[in-house]
Amino acid sequence: MTDLKKKDETAADHGKCMLNRRQFLMYSGTTAAAVSTISVSLFPGEAKAKARVVGYPRKKIGQLSKLADNKPLDFNYPDDGPNSQCMLVKMAGAKAGGGIGPKRDVVAFSYLCTHQGGFLNGKYQAVGEHRVLGQCPLHLSTYDLTRHGIIVSGQAYQSIPQVLLELDGDDIYAVGIMGLLFGRNENLIES
Amino acid sequence: MATKYYLPEDKTPLPPKGADVLTTCCDYCIVACGYKVYRWPIGTADGGPQAADNAFGVDFPSGPLQAWVAPTQYNVVMHKGKPHNVIVIPDKDAKVVNIAGDSSIRGGCIAQKCYNPDKPTNDRLMSPMIRINGTLQPVSWDMALDVAADLIKHTIKKHGANAYGMKQYSYQFVENTYACSKFSKGSIDTANWTMHDTPANVTSTPGFRDAGFDNFGPAYKDWGDADTLMICGTDPYETKTMIFNQFIKPAIDSGMKTIWLNVRETAGIAYAKSKGNALFIQLDPGTDTPVLGAIARVIMEKGWEDSEWIKNWVNDKWGSNSGFGQGTRNTPWQWRTTWGKFQTKGFEDYKKWVISQKDTDPAVAAKIANIPVEQIYQAAEWLAKPKADGSRVKASLGIEKGFYWSNNTGNTNAVSSLATICGAGGRPGQVVGRFGGHQRGGTGGGGYSRNKSAQKRPGRRRQALDCDRYFYSGNTRFAHVVGTTWIQAMCGSAGLNAKFEELVTMNPNQVRSFDKQEIIDTLKKRMDSGGTVVLDQDIYLRDPIGSKFADIVLPAATWGEEDFVRANGERRLRLYSKFYDAPGDSKPDWWIIGQLGQRMGFDGYDWKDSNEVCEESSRFSRGNRKAYHMIKVAAHKEGKTLHEKLREYGTEGIQGPTFYNYKTGELLGSVRLHNTECPPEKMEKEGRTQGANMVNKKMTHFNSQTGKVNIQKHPWSLFSDYWEWMKPKDTELWHTNGRINEVWQSGFDDVDRRAYIAQRWPENWTEIHPDDAKSRGIESGDQIILYSDRVPNFKQTIKGVHGSDFNFADLLKNGWIELDKAAVTAVAIVTPHVKKGTMYSYFINTSQPSNVLQGRVPDQISGNYNYKMGVARVKKIGESKYKNEFRSMSFAPRNIV
Repeated sequence: MTDLKKKDETAADHGKCMLNRRQFLMYSGTTAAAVSTISVSLFPGEAKAKARVVGYPRKKIGQLSKLADNKPLDFNYPDDGPNSQCMLVKMAGAKAGGGIGPKRDVVAFSYLCTHQGGFLNGKYQAVGEHRVLGQCPLHLSTYDLTRHGIIVSGQAYQSIPQVLLELDGDDIYAVGIMGLLFGRNENLIES
Repeated sequence: MATKYYLPEDKTPLPPKGADVLTTCCDYCIVACGYKVYRWPIGTADGGPQAADNAFGVDFPSGPLQAWVAPTQYNVVMHKGKPHNVIVIPDKDAKVVNIAGDSSIRGGCIAQKCYNPDKPTNDRLMSPMIRINGTLQPVSWDMALDVAADLIKHTIKKHGANAYGMKQYSYQFVENTYACSKFSKGSIDTANWTMHDTPANVTSTPGFRDAGFDNFGPAYKDWGDADTLMICGTDPYETKTMIFNQFIKPAIDSGMKTIWLNVRETAGIAYAKSKGNALFIQLDPGTDTPVLGAIARVIMEKGWEDSEWIKNWVNDKWGSNSGFGQGTRNTPWQWRTTWGKFQTKGFEDYKKWVISQKDTDPAVAAKIANIPVEQIYQAAEWLAKPKADGSRVKASLGIEKGFYWSNNTGNTNAVSSLATICGAGGRPGQVVGRFGGHQRGGTGGGGYSRNKSAQKRPGRRRQALDCDRYFYSGNTRFAHVVGTTWIQAMCGSAGLNAKFEELVTMNPNQVRSFDKQEIIDTLKKRMDSGGTVVLDQDIYLRDPIGSKFADIVLPAATWGEEDFVRANGERRLRLYSKFYDAPGDSKPDWWIIGQLGQRMGFDGYDWKDSNEVCEESSRFSRGNRKAYHMIKVAAHKEGKTLHEKLREYGTEGIQGPTFYNYKTGELLGSVRLHNTECPPEKMEKEGRTQGANMVNKKMTHFNSQTGKVNIQKHPWSLFSDYWEWMKPKDTELWHTNGRINEVWQSGFDDVDRRAYIAQRWPENWTEIHPDDAKSRGIESGDQIILYSDRVPNFKQTIKGVHGSDFNFADLLKNGWIELDKAAVTAVAIVTPHVKKGTMYSYFINTSQPSNVLQGRVPDQISGNYNYKMGVARVKKIGESKYKNEFRSMSFAPRNIV
């Protein structure tokens, strides 16, 4: 990752838990990489979080007008390498954390279960007002897509990574990932 | 409520080639998956993504089921005073338990358990403390220990050994449990002793005990080797994850039928149902006994019982009476089995009894349990109807707390008898047992003096002391609490909390001085005036036992901070390696007890290290299910220590009881107990019978006098008066509680200190059926209050005179039951996966303890709590923030397949 050219930008405070800008917020972790830190109020009414702004590729993955309700669209992100399979879905009006579009119901997530890499293709489900990804065919983990991919029930070591989206007119761009993709030691790898 | 931030990260370091690798196991649930710790110093290079550059020898990005490190599996710890990176991941080389490195969410994130001042674990206890002027203040070890020992000496001398009470974990490594029980039960010899999950020192499963079944006889593999598996009161996917993932799920996929008795439909049950070979009996709380009785009745009326098995392995009249000719019959299993309420003259007598009972009529049982009657017939068919070719169905039956903490004696008797007529119990794939809760780390350092208990049933039937009732009665002057919250973990816990306030906080004798002798004198006055002094050993300051009530707090070192030994639910013994420095001045519990013992003037407390404690304890394990004595014998033959020898076995360990072949020098394990297919000659041939080896009856037979199974009655009437009284009235609903997959035997770390889990479950929650919620105007995410003005509380230590004195109806009539008020708040989860008419809460959020609503009326036969039994009314008091935000909790049902 240190060899990658990173572009630091200022991230705006959206005032809501809706991460939908091109530059997406990564939180300071174990890395020693020198990047600028800024304070953002991500969670209303809660403490300010120190955030690190990291450049991810900006990639067009679809058009809002072409998305049918509850029909996932597959794409690769942040590259076409291993473990980059993701899905984009319009969740029929179910408002979601990180959702874009007028109803904030368009979200994107990794397809790889963060337990042991089970492939979740075909496992998107709309049940009543709930929108989940799962059960994973390997060990039955299920994730809540309205809540940043948090585990509903299961064995995963973290939420399913959420792809951050940006809407530019009708075009939908993937601009970042929240959480580490299964199988990678860092999301951005040299190609 | 404190809410920890879970901040997803997008990279983790990989361990370099040459990183230290140590083996351990998960610290949490019974299954005890094998883990590897990779450790390398901060400031040295991390591993690289190429296989040649990392300790896993795997190319990254890695593929499904390959090694991978999630950010939650990484931490920074101090090792020999220097900061080190550690990665703790399931052992990808594991050949047993979590084969090929599978894991649960709990163990999977166990690296976050380690003390790290930058993380939510930064509130570990670091120093001994004494409460002075109302504040816990750090003091030296010498001062804290001198004060504690002086007070214990005083209370024993002045008020008797029973005035000293110890409430300790049952499970937390053999070195620690041995030291604690040697001190309290051995040296002090108090009857005021019990474990973290029961008010009295009693068996968790009286029916198993009396039938002759060990709780943990089966091998994990057995649970997937049946044709039909009946699972009572648990979903192993949630609370025995690896047993489910590795053994039960593959078996379901290949056609094994499952029968579930549960009030909730969670992920494992939903998955099994989706495969079309599951029967989900969603009964009302506490009604398992009539349901199992009815299933047994159908089987016997159809003649589907396993006659051959019954002929060979079930006691007849003479067998049932065997061994009882002369004795006093005053041990619990003796008086229970000869009381007349349970004992039978063999199978025919049992059959006659079952058919004579009203509640075993399938229609009646179905009505009590509020289930379709067809399910009873279906279950009977699946368990016992011979196959087309006339051969028998292989049936296994497993139980856990939802079942045995509902009607402790009745349910465990009923399942034992049902298992027995199905031929389950002592053959591969035909087993009966507990799935388990905590790991098995208990080694007794002293016998329990039941005859010193102040509590008894009529006749000579002395019972283990109900320590809560004894405390309520004001008899416990010195309360020594080791590794448990005590209060919230008990039923009707609001009353217990109030009693602690009265005896500890409100007593006028409070420490106002820094002088050691003045502190001792003040606290002696408190004990002499009828009050209680509290000593608490733990890793965190628990509320309220530590934060509000403890006069002395001693900081404990734990998993990863010392070498320890423990067994899992198939008796598999492993060494849990120390891999980092214990924080601050914290010390392992065996050391603390050793220091107290020496100050008390007791012999045999001058242990140098944990191996020395383990080696001393080993002989007390002989004959137990996890007997590890022969590991020591083998080790000493090879010039090693017990710990060194067990370390060689890595995450595979060895299954107890262990044996040593003196000729070949080979250490032998035991796959399962009650192995009726293993003839005694085979045991001898394998070298399991010579020298210090101890062949216990349970190896090849059952734990009864004759070695055969006692088939026992399970009268509903011993419980039905309580159940009928408790049944919801007016707007009440059943209120039961239990665990959740994400927090299971890990609450002491998870709820407050692991951000990912704390985000999922930030506070107490209650599941309520949509119909029940709608009529009360409750939606998911609403803040609700559950309340009751009839929490039954039996608080006094009494002696029984008449046979029915301990029946609930008699206790009520004689004025022994107080009806208390209690309330607890929660976040509502409206979900169809819980049964209509029943609410289900998390069992022990320490800030919102749902046990306040559960009836404090111990099972009259066994003395256990029936934790699952309670009722409450519920109303909305507002909206929680989780209703409209997106980062915490989820209200999606757990049964989406």
